[in-house]
Amino acid sequence: MLRQTTILFLTVLFLFSCQSRKGKESGTEFEVPDSVITAEALTISNEALEEIVQNVSSPIEMAALIKEIGVPFSTKYLATTDYVDRYNTSFKMAYSLGVFGADLGYLNIYDKSNQVIDFLTAINKLADGIKVGQFFDFETLKRLATSRESIDSLMYISVNSFNNMDSYLRDNNRGHLSALMIAGTWVEGMYLVTQVASEKSNPELSERIGEQKINLNNIMLILDNYKEHEQVMKVIESLDGLKEEFDKVEITYVIGEPETVEQGGMIMIVQNEKSVVNISDEQLNKIISKTKQIRNKLISV
Amino acid sequence: MKRIILILFPVFFTFQIYSQFSPGFVEQCATNSGKDATYLKDFQVVLNAALPEQVPPIARYPLVLSKNNIYRFSLCTPEDSPGKAILQLFDSNQLIFSSYNKETGEEYNPFNFLCQKTGIYHVFISFQEGKEGHTVGILSFVSK
Repeated sequence: MLRQTTILFLTVLFLFSCQSRKGKESGTEFEVPDSVITAEALTISNEALEEIVQNVSSPIEMAALIKEIGVPFSTKYLATTDYVDRYNTSFKMAYSLGVFGADLGYLNIYDKSNQVIDFLTAINKLADGIKVGQFFDFETLKRLATSRESIDSLMYISVNSFNNMDSYLRDNNRGHLSALMIAGTWVEGMYLVTQVASEKSNPELSERIGEQKINLNNIMLILDNYKEHEQVMKVIESLDGLKEEFDKVEITYVIGEPETVEQGGMIMIVQNEKSVVNISDEQLNKIISKTKQIRNKLISV
Repeated sequence: MKRIILILFPVFFTFQIYSQFSPGFVEQCATNSGKDATYLKDFQVVLNAALPEQVPPIARYPLVLSKNNIYRFSLCTPEDSPGKAILQLFDSNQLIFSSYNKETGEEYNPFNFLCQKTGIYHVFISFQEGKEGHTVGILSFVSK
């Protein structure tokens, strides 16, 4: 009886833990089932890591700022999807998945449905390549992108797809791929905003770039957790130079109490404690140049 | 044997229902933040009732907010949730705002936050009187 109960319990557990998968193209690397991959030796707990991942701000906010300051849309800031078939290692695939994810955010903000399809197709291929395609709802995203029904639905499904891929990778001892994906997203967002800053001087843009010091510190913490992976170490080494430049940027704070105002029938809390970013033109230019160098190196085929 | 199947099935079925919201529901919440707002992230919360003399359970989420941005925080609580949700925004240990004023009973859902300091903040979500409940918190970015 006990044996029957145990078998039944394990069978039910197995059925509920199975993930549905779409048909996959075979990858160029030998696929190790998640269940047999040994646990990654992490220096910080999964719980702490989850918090740090949540502490990396969305590239969508960068794209929105660029749009708000009146910079017209340009494909020159985007990574090309032409070589997606040549990204044939899990490292390249995971990193590029993040890169194209950031570009997708930029395209969504500018409502560019034609180019969105190219990026969705590329992301779908890469997600399949690292066996997380089941979390990427390509057909729904394609429909939403072409119909322009709701930007929020498009954003929600995009963000949700990336969050699910990220969680799945970390839960299945492939957290290094999740870390690469997060790094790719951040570097591409940085590339986008620094390229705009190199062409258009804007104090708000400079300040936002300087503030990325906080995000970079979090990215480095995430990557550092997986530094035993050679490819992750290469990304850390690439970002070290950029971190050196960001370490020179000073962020100071002015104390103040929040106040509540009513605006358009809605409560708005105005924060009076302020952060002030001190970034010189020289520091900004070095960050712009290093970001370009790192981004182009890491997405090269 | 049949009894065991009958016992195990509801356990897993209940877990499937309450462990997360349907994507359709969350998507609906994401689209309801207003025409001037763009969805950024959601916080899906399912909490049990507080036991007698116990501190009410609270779900806590860290998030980075950027200077000069206006963020909208909204709560989307299904009708079958026994408890009414409360969303509180904290900067370090300092409460910036609560969507519920316990003294007046007033609720502020949604509310906007003009951020002037880039940094890590925390969203706390709980239910009034420590009741059991489920809700989805939505963070959106408001166009100026």
